[in-house]
Amino acid sequence: MSAHAEALHGSDHHGPPAANQSSRIAPTILGMFLFIGTEAMLFGSFFAAYFFVRVVNPDAPDSWPPSPYEFPQFVAGINTAILVTSSFTMHWALQSVKRNNRRGLQAGLVLTILMGIAFLLTQFIEYAHIGFNTGDGAFASVFFGLTGLHGAHVLVGLLLLTFATIRAFRGHYSPEHHHGVELPGIYWHFVDVMWIVVYVTVYLI
Amino acid sequence: MTGLGIVIAILVTLVAVLIPWLPTSASEEMDRIEFVYWFATVICIAVFALVMAVLLYSVMAFRSPPEDESDGPPIHGNTNLEVAWTVVPAILVIAIGVISAFVMSKNGEAGPNPLNVKVFAQQFAWRFVYPDDNEVKSGELVLPVNRSAKFEMESADVIHSFWIPAMGQKQDLVPGIKTRIIVTPTRTGVFSLVCTELCGVGHATMRATVRVVSQEDFVAWVKERSDGGGGGGVSGDKAAALFADAGCGGCHAFTPAGTTGEIGPNLDDLVAAAQKAGQDPADYVREAIVDPGKVIAPGYQDGVMPPSYGETLSPAEIDSLVAYLTGAK
Amino acid sequence: MSAVEHESHGAGHGSGEPTRQRSILMRPGFVRAAWCFALFFLVGLYLVAGIRWLAGWDPVYDWNIIVLVGGLTLAPIGFLLGLGSFDYWLYWISGRPTIPDDHANHGARTWKDYFKVNTDHKVIGVQYLVTTFVFFTLGGLMAMLFRAELAQPGMQFMDTQTYNGLVSMHAALMIFVFIIPAFAGLANFAVPLMLGAPDMAFPRLNALSFWFLPIAGTMFLCSFLAPGGAFATGWTSYAPLASDQPIGQVFFNMGVQWAGASSILTALNFLVTIITMRAPGMTFWRMPLLVWANFTTSLLVVIATPFIAGSQFFVMFDRVMHTSFFVPAEGGYVLGYQHIFWFYSHPAVYIMILPGFGIISEIISVMSRKPIFGYRLMAMSLLGILVLGFSVWAHHMFVAGMTDWLRVPMMISTLLIAVPTGVKVFSWLATLWEGRIKLNTPMLFSLGFISMFVIGGLSGIYLASVPITIHASDTYFIVAHIHYVLFGGSVLTIFAGIYYWFPKMTGRMYNERLGKLHFWLTFISFNLTFFPMHWVGLVGMPRRVADYADRFADLNLVVTISSFALGASVVVFFYNMIVSWTRGPIADPNPWRAMTLEWQVSSPPPIFNFDEIPQVVGGPYEYGVPGARHAILTSTTAPAAQEVHG
Repeated sequence: MSAHAEALHGSDHHGPPAANQSSRIAPTILGMFLFIGTEAMLFGSFFAAYFFVRVVNPDAPDSWPPSPYEFPQFVAGINTAILVTSSFTMHWALQSVKRNNRRGLQAGLVLTILMGIAFLLTQFIEYAHIGFNTGDGAFASVFFGLTGLHGAHVLVGLLLLTFATIRAFRGHYSPEHHHGVELPGIYWHFVDVMWIVVYVTVYLI
Repeated sequence: MTGLGIVIAILVTLVAVLIPWLPTSASEEMDRIEFVYWFATVICIAVFALVMAVLLYSVMAFRSPPEDESDGPPIHGNTNLEVAWTVVPAILVIAIGVISAFVMSKNGEAGPNPLNVKVFAQQFAWRFVYPDDNEVKSGELVLPVNRSAKFEMESADVIHSFWIPAMGQKQDLVPGIKTRIIVTPTRTGVFSLVCTELCGVGHATMRATVRVVSQEDFVAWVKERSDGGGGGGVSGDKAAALFADAGCGGCHAFTPAGTTGEIGPNLDDLVAAAQKAGQDPADYVREAIVDPGKVIAPGYQDGVMPPSYGETLSPAEIDSLVAYLTGAK
Repeated sequence: MSAVEHESHGAGHGSGEPTRQRSILMRPGFVRAAWCFALFFLVGLYLVAGIRWLAGWDPVYDWNIIVLVGGLTLAPIGFLLGLGSFDYWLYWISGRPTIPDDHANHGARTWKDYFKVNTDHKVIGVQYLVTTFVFFTLGGLMAMLFRAELAQPGMQFMDTQTYNGLVSMHAALMIFVFIIPAFAGLANFAVPLMLGAPDMAFPRLNALSFWFLPIAGTMFLCSFLAPGGAFATGWTSYAPLASDQPIGQVFFNMGVQWAGASSILTALNFLVTIITMRAPGMTFWRMPLLVWANFTTSLLVVIATPFIAGSQFFVMFDRVMHTSFFVPAEGGYVLGYQHIFWFYSHPAVYIMILPGFGIISEIISVMSRKPIFGYRLMAMSLLGILVLGFSVWAHHMFVAGMTDWLRVPMMISTLLIAVPTGVKVFSWLATLWEGRIKLNTPMLFSLGFISMFVIGGLSGIYLASVPITIHASDTYFIVAHIHYVLFGGSVLTIFAGIYYWFPKMTGRMYNERLGKLHFWLTFISFNLTFFPMHWVGLVGMPRRVADYADRFADLNLVVTISSFALGASVVVFFYNMIVSWTRGPIADPNPWRAMTLEWQVSSPPPIFNFDEIPQVVGGPYEYGVPGARHAILTSTTAPAAQEVHG
């Protein structure tokens, strides 16, 4: 089929015509928002499992978590603070690149990554000392399910941020072109918001 | 086109009437289900005839040869028509919905003086317990005619589903929750109960016999079963009852119990098989009950017989079964 | 997802592909894919073993987890890496210069290009269709195998575990790696062309989501090799049965994840393409209905598919991590699985039919030479189905033991879905009315679809009614219903679509006589196969049974014989496709005299679809309107002139 096409185009024709941009939103940003939508639904399915175990189930435990187990609300609260702060540093990084402040961009990204790593480490230590295991009942399934799913998302967010950081240090971003910072940023904010929901539903309520 | 529609409607009606689509009803619930079924069928015949008439008529009347390059009239729509075929179907389906909701609630109500029956399912056998009738246990379901039976159902392992086709009602048995259903048999006879939820290798043959008898016969049956299970020792009668209650006969043929199941090996040959394996028949049979996967008779599958009998039956019960099966008294 | 990155600030001279020639071991392709596959499996193996050794867990080599992590997760990623799916992104990540519109992997110059990571939506569309038809053939052969077993009561050819495995595999292949992706393939080919776009919004992501698909299908099939046999819990894979089955079950759990990821990423791509890449003048109300259909389908996919991912994760966790999502003794809730599963899997039936509605709308309008009747209502009814589709999942659970109060609302919303569906059927009929009907193969399949889908829809009305469904659920009536909507519905529309776009895809014409023969053989044997199932189900035969009571024997024999005829009818199709693709007569650019944009370019279309993006000036179905035009193409590559009739 392509011989036909080549004959039509000639060998010096390099690319397609530029696509018409039929919406004000950039394709990459829209794609990221849709991806976040589908991610939110994935969290939704885990919250549905939580809801079934804790609310719908006729044998649901009276206290949450069922005694004698306890969730480390305080440590997780500190972790929440870390993650929320990292959203601000992420925002700072994005603002910096828009103002052509390269140092600010780099510092913001690095700080965000460090806080993300701190969050994951804290959670890992929390798992190790929490006093129950995945096999200790449905409440533990839900707990490890939701926090683990979120942890996996933090990890993905960190990877995306690392890619952005590598390119930031190579000087690839400019006030006009910074989708590479903006997209991981959107994702990072989503991960933060999701954590707040997880923290409130699993640890606090 | 109207003629075409009428012809199609008549043909479809013949198909609907001449083929016995539903089993002959054997319960009040099934009678009501049949009513909804016919209500929906009338509407469906009308819709189907309409659609097919228009479609076939269009193909016949408006067909044009490939070389004809003309176009049809540019009709983009007709608001009245579009409103009509939105509103009319909505009314029809809501009518079906209202009738269905009404029948559903009727089918959820038991008649006076209902019989309580507990249903226990496990891979791949049914057991029935009559809590108000001396806790009689049975591997076959015996019901008095014209009296509502209230079933309370539990599953020991995975999801099963309770269905007596001629009686219409169906309900899943779900591990961890108790489910309920009501059936009011209207004629005596022998029916079959089948599992309709895929539950593993033995799903296809997870069936039980349902016997609907007169109230007097039912009372007599309960009395017979209660007397039979009276003694505390190991009696042959009790073992026979246990054999039936545990559902063994559902899969195994065993002449003393009069069962003819073909899913598992024939139990008449048990002693011979033990001798062939060079084992004491009692040990051999005990092992086959408690750990059925250990030795699989040639031509049969592993995993069909539940491995849980070692837990669900008491040691004394297993002893009596072993004695019964090896022919010792 | 870095997948959506497009940015570049490199000097613009480099490309994703280094120019130097690399050895066959290092070049993207199947050789590199093979060793990367093995390497990643070993990484997974030692990752699991290492962690277990460090943590002091016994056994260190837990094969359940190694298969899951090494075999079903990392090894496929290694395969994709080796094939070259990630090359561009890895260059980007490492900060090396890349140019976003690098077309090194675009278009097919030889048949070998179809076996590569290709970024051309037209090539990907063909890749999808060929792959899905391979799985269709395998799934169909399995159906014939277990139909052979069912020809008589009792067990003749196989044991019950094998039977259950074949039934489950048949459904899994047909649903997850045939119907859903076959529609994605047709849409991949047609939608960017119809929109006047040069490609999809994210061509590399598009290629990646295609390559997930052979992975998913192969994973399903590989479960036959697992100890204990293939997964045997039906395609619904209900917990808790699914959590204590042999290891083959994990192949299903993970295969669904790969297939699900594929359809989510494709749907995301369609949505972004449709929203941001329409040609000038192509407003939403000028989009062809196929585009509308894929727009709504993609929304359904993006919103619903994560739920099946969740449900399969829980089952897997219950198996490998000893969690108790569905273990009642530990506080789990068994029905939770069904709620989460059906929250995806009910919308999934619309995912499997809405694109078909789009195809039929195109064909009916073109072949009747009339505008589609009630275009806006047709689009709105798609949206109506989308919204209602999320409020009906529990109608699969009327006998499941769920809470009673959900029954009536779910019944009413289910019944109401008949309304937008009815609107579509009546509008198609009204489009036929007074048309100039061309009774060729795509049209025959479309008309066959309407009549079969009406039967499937009407049996759906029975199943919406709670009392009837209490009698009919989990019986062969259900099997009949889903085959009327999925075969009589979806598969007939896939055939219709393939015949319709065949000249555009291949540049050649299929054999009309063989096409019609295929239709009639399919139509007749389909009805003989599936219509008796309504009866056998209502009188008492449950579904998914390897053995049945003797009284159902006669009907089952009829069904089995007809199913072989149905299988044979597909041979005609394959023969027609293969011979026509290689030796068929050269097709005109626009053999159907259609107005939509894909027909205004050469057959097959130029490698970048259009020389200049067309200007859309009117609706897509203005047949019979004097002087009406859908679009103006300024390019010289377009065929002579726009179709103007009247």
